[in-house]
Amino acid sequence: MDHLLQILVNGLSAGAVYALFALGYTLVFSVLGVINFAHGAVFTLGAYFTYLLIGGPVGANGALAGFRLPFALPFWLALAVAGLGAALVSLLVEATAFAPLRRQRSDPLLTLISSLGAGVVLVNLVQILMGAESYAIPAGTLAGLPAAVNLGGATVRTVQLLLMGIAALVLVVLTLWLERSRSGKALQAVSEDPLMARLLGIPAGSMIRLAFAISGFLAGVAGGLVGLSVSIAGPYFGIGFGLKGLGVLVLGGLGSVPGAVLGGLVVGLAEALVPAEFSGTKDGVAYAFLFLMLMLRPQGLLGRPQSSKV
Amino acid sequence: MSGTPLLALTGLAVRYGNVQALRELDLEMHPGELVALLGSNGAGKSTTLRAISRLVRPSAGGITWRGRPLARASTEGTVRLGIGHCPEGRRVLARQSVATNLELGAYLRRDRQGIRADLERCYERFPRLAERRGQRAGSLSGGEQQMLAIARSLMGRPELLLLDEPSLGLAPKLVAEVMAILAELRRDGLTILLVEQNALAALAIADRGVVLEAGSVSLRGSAAELLANDALRASYLG
Ligand SMILES: Nc1ncnc2c1ncn2[C@@H]1O[C@H](COP(=O)(O)OP(=O)(O)O)[C@@H](O)[C@H]1O
Ligand SMILES: [Mg+2]
Repeated sequence: MDHLLQILVNGLSAGAVYALFALGYTLVFSVLGVINFAHGAVFTLGAYFTYLLIGGPVGANGALAGFRLPFALPFWLALAVAGLGAALVSLLVEATAFAPLRRQRSDPLLTLISSLGAGVVLVNLVQILMGAESYAIPAGTLAGLPAAVNLGGATVRTVQLLLMGIAALVLVVLTLWLERSRSGKALQAVSEDPLMARLLGIPAGSMIRLAFAISGFLAGVAGGLVGLSVSIAGPYFGIGFGLKGLGVLVLGGLGSVPGAVLGGLVVGLAEALVPAEFSGTKDGVAYAFLFLMLMLRPQGLLGRPQSSKV
Repeated sequence: MSGTPLLALTGLAVRYGNVQALRELDLEMHPGELVALLGSNGAGKSTTLRAISRLVRPSAGGITWRGRPLARASTEGTVRLGIGHCPEGRRVLARQSVATNLELGAYLRRDRQGIRADLERCYERFPRLAERRGQRAGSLSGGEQQMLAIARSLMGRPELLLLDEPSLGLAPKLVAEVMAILAELRRDGLTILLVEQNALAALAIADRGVVLEAGSVSLRGSAAELLANDALRASYLG
């Protein structure tokens, strides 16, 4: 039988990934009121960027077969650079799938489709260039750090601690930024009343790009860490996380930063409580749980009640 | 009056699809003036302000600021130029605190000390906002929200303040309070374009007025002339 502490750690670290994912969705949702369906693809790219930046070679099936960067960065640096790369990709998604539609003042819901398209293009690009095989970021990459530590009988992998620590750090930094800084408050103003924000002189376009950049950075870093934690299962591996992150976003309450984190942890824990012999039913349990929670609390755990526009 | 006007509208027209909301509007604003833009619901008053703030594009005519055309400016650009717009319905940021609303009013300013000094002056002018500075703006009463909306516009240090129906939905006593504040701002030298349906209250503090009817000017003159005008008395003053 699993140690209770073990279950807790497994659940919280999986939940941390979902939380990072949902935070990215939340930022964009709060300024635009729509979901960026390319977010999962940006996460995937973050993982591949990290892999390449630590000097990993491209496998035999991709167009870039045998390619390897002429340098190999230490994992931390690679993760940070991959995050920045993912932020750039996210900005590119904004420029191609969101901005043109916004300039034409079309229905924001249309960007659900254009962002889904951007995501498919990105994922296929990865498949063409890197092939469909899986890639592992070798353990022992965390220079100097042991692969696992023993905490009161539970074996906790270092990467799990990292995931939890980074999710907590992101939550704190993001909250402080949103609540305290000039640009964070301006972003919230755009989120609450875009027209008034413009009349205050807040450039909505820059705020939207800022939200995409931060959201992309978070996804990229999460991708790299998951790549280290469970390996990169192929170009489509972001999709499963993306869907669950979406569920988490709704569970936490659309647009709520602490809600995204709480929702992530709750879903991660619910999954971890599924006994190992039934692990094939994990996703089913997670979604059933989401479904039940939303029946009880449609606005999400920490969401404001949505006023109906009908 | 002489000299280049601060703001000049010439032959301004705005359409929304098939609706001609505004036609052939000429209006000049000189520094220090308080002009009332009057008219009943749907006359085109808000549309005029929206055109000045570049929220809608004119279908004809032009707008100049200090003699320079505004045609290429963005809405943010007009704020930067010194045009503050306090829109219809107050639009305070309900989820933000009173203090944050005021800070965001100064979003484009970089002079931290000046902002802090203005915040203090603002709390002196609006003591009720000072008492409630940490409260969510959404929890304020209608009158307090209107004061906050005006105070927030002032935090941007505009040269011209566009005010859209500040008296709407307020009790007579509060209307008088708002108008007294506007009169005081005018005495301090602020140029104000005041949109109102409450013609009597607006003309009591205005230098002159323009009356819109279905998008066209039906009357214009000094405040005293308009207050003495029988047609205006009949349709707006009751
Ligand atoms: N967004 C819009 N789309 C279509 N028609 C509009 C829009 N906004 C205003 N109108 C119409 O334009 C006219 C003037 O409106 P408005 O400027 O808001 O009037 P006022 O502020 O004087 O009440 C009205 O007939 C109104 O119905
Ligand atoms: Mg109006």
